[in-house]
Amino acid sequence: MTDLALEVDHLTKTFRLHHEKANSIKQLVAGKGRNRYNDFVALNDVSFEVKEGEVFGVIGHNGSGKSTLLKCMAGILQPNSGSVRVHKRMSALLELGAGFHPELSGRDNVFLNAAILGMTRRDIAARFDDIVEFSGLQSFIDSPVKTYSSGMYVRLAFAVAINVDPRLLIIDEILAVGDVTFQQRCLEKFVEFRNEGRTIVLVTHAMNTVKDMCDRAIWLSHGVITGEGDPSELVEQYTEQMLGNLSRNADGSVRRGSGEIQITSVELFVNGGDTPVKRFRTGDSIQLRLRYHTEKSIPRPVFAITIEQLGGSTVTAPCTRDVGIIPESLNGDGVVDIALADVPLLPGTFDVHTAITDFNRSHIYDNLHLALRFDVMTGHPYEFGGVVTLKPGWRID
Amino acid sequence: MSLRSAVAHRNLLYLLSLKELRTRYKKSVLGWAWSLLNPLTQMAIFSVIFLYVFKAEPPTGDPSGIKNFPLYFLSGALPFNFFSISVGVAIGSVQGGAGLIKKVQFPHEHLVFSVIVAQFVTLLIELVVLTVALLIAGNMVLPWLPSLLFILGMMALFTTGVALALSAANVFYHDVNYLWGILSQILFYATPIIYNPATIEVSALRWVANYGPTGSFITAIHNVVYDLRMPGTGRLVQLFVMSFGTFFVGSWVFNKLSPRFAEEM
Repeated sequence: MTDLALEVDHLTKTFRLHHEKANSIKQLVAGKGRNRYNDFVALNDVSFEVKEGEVFGVIGHNGSGKSTLLKCMAGILQPNSGSVRVHKRMSALLELGAGFHPELSGRDNVFLNAAILGMTRRDIAARFDDIVEFSGLQSFIDSPVKTYSSGMYVRLAFAVAINVDPRLLIIDEILAVGDVTFQQRCLEKFVEFRNEGRTIVLVTHAMNTVKDMCDRAIWLSHGVITGEGDPSELVEQYTEQMLGNLSRNADGSVRRGSGEIQITSVELFVNGGDTPVKRFRTGDSIQLRLRYHTEKSIPRPVFAITIEQLGGSTVTAPCTRDVGIIPESLNGDGVVDIALADVPLLPGTFDVHTAITDFNRSHIYDNLHLALRFDVMTGHPYEFGGVVTLKPGWRID
Repeated sequence: MSLRSAVAHRNLLYLLSLKELRTRYKKSVLGWAWSLLNPLTQMAIFSVIFLYVFKAEPPTGDPSGIKNFPLYFLSGALPFNFFSISVGVAIGSVQGGAGLIKKVQFPHEHLVFSVIVAQFVTLLIELVVLTVALLIAGNMVLPWLPSLLFILGMMALFTTGVALALSAANVFYHDVNYLWGILSQILFYATPIIYNPATIEVSALRWVANYGPTGSFITAIHNVVYDLRMPGTGRLVQLFVMSFGTFFVGSWVFNKLSPRFAEEM
């Protein structure tokens, strides 16, 4: 039996919503000691366990009770009933740099922040160099943090938090901060943590992170657990439910978006052939043909495809903006061809999703999930494991 | 229990206190001199009023024989200011710690403890100046310093108790903050700082000045640094019981309320 890192047992948390909160004694007295309020149930009888060494995801829409759950786990909020039992040394990262004092130097803040997070002075002194090195702020460490950029601030805070050396790490959305390089380093650190057998509880909106990182997940909705289990399936269900305007097609594909321009078909051709196929071999050259239809002129659309391994890991996700092919506008019917030479995919089943967005990639005209499924069969080169071949040139002397 | 927590998290307490001290006079030219300028100004004002407007006799130290209103004033005002400023700052410190309380789990009482420690350090620095002044005035106060520290220790405990209770209550009702502004003024005049309690003719008022919570502390401090004698045993027992009692009640209130801080803020 594996050890448990965290047990959440019939946890219920209600908040009292005051219609007019008496925040002064006068109001309290004038209101004849009575307050009008409603009880709002943020968490309703939530139970789950997190095993040691597991990466555990918590997903749910805004207001689903994720943050409340997190704060209860971190010991910041007291539940009305039920309990949270933490069996490992825990560090909860709800906000990076909470408690940083702007006037104090980076060095002083490291010591103070680490002490707030529960480290002893000896621990901090021993890890101080690691912290500074991870933050990359060696030359700024004696300047007051008010002179730091927000990126530097977050880097230092994260460096402290990660060096608390938790066996159980609870993280709330903080992967979303900092620049790309820093996010990458955070991700590496989490992978390192996972590989070291530490337990991570991840509360996030980043569905890809949940799919890629987590071993197990729960889905919270209106304070109750509506799903528990395999992250990929859960994310799939969640995404489907979240996208209110989606429509399911007869072939199993799922469409959403505003619909001014749509992909009408996706076809796959192999080695210059002209009959659509559903399978090819490793090393073949393929062509994906998307047909689109618009009723009116669409300015500067961006076409994107995602090729996903069965099970959810993204293999590649190119778009036309990456290569600077941006038509000024499109109208009527047309074709988008994507040629992929010597495809290095190894045998397996893959899904293609397509999307058409505006230039900023913020507005989705059309998103066709599961537009095409294809199989890759054994070809050249052949490798036993993995998703792609990098065509290794072996040499043994 | 709060004392145990203070020991267990002494590193946090040390660093938070250091932060209090370091950040207090940032960006001010005179810096720490401000902590002395305030009581010295008070002293000057009250000395003029007491000696020249009211033409009152300064109290005579018994048995020391000293007769010096400014020093009488300072030896009472410095400890009293420690008490009233500590409580006021602690109330603000817990309220101002909202960002931390809502995001990190840590022993909240350290927000209060660190204020008390920082203010106590300030008081000690001020008392060094007072000691020098008393010596110059001919009051051989040095042998009495251990007794002074003992009384101040109890006063710090008393102050902590009041600060814990009020800073916790203030999270729920911000009136406490404003109430403290008024209450500390009343206490200032109810404490023998600018007058000699022996000259009060109304016996109830004299009793308050002598045995009211702050009055009793200040009287005991006057005894050791101005009169140069030990306070009576009865007074010491009163102070001892009062300081521990207040501390435990304050801790109890704080521990009772602090789990609800994050929700209330």
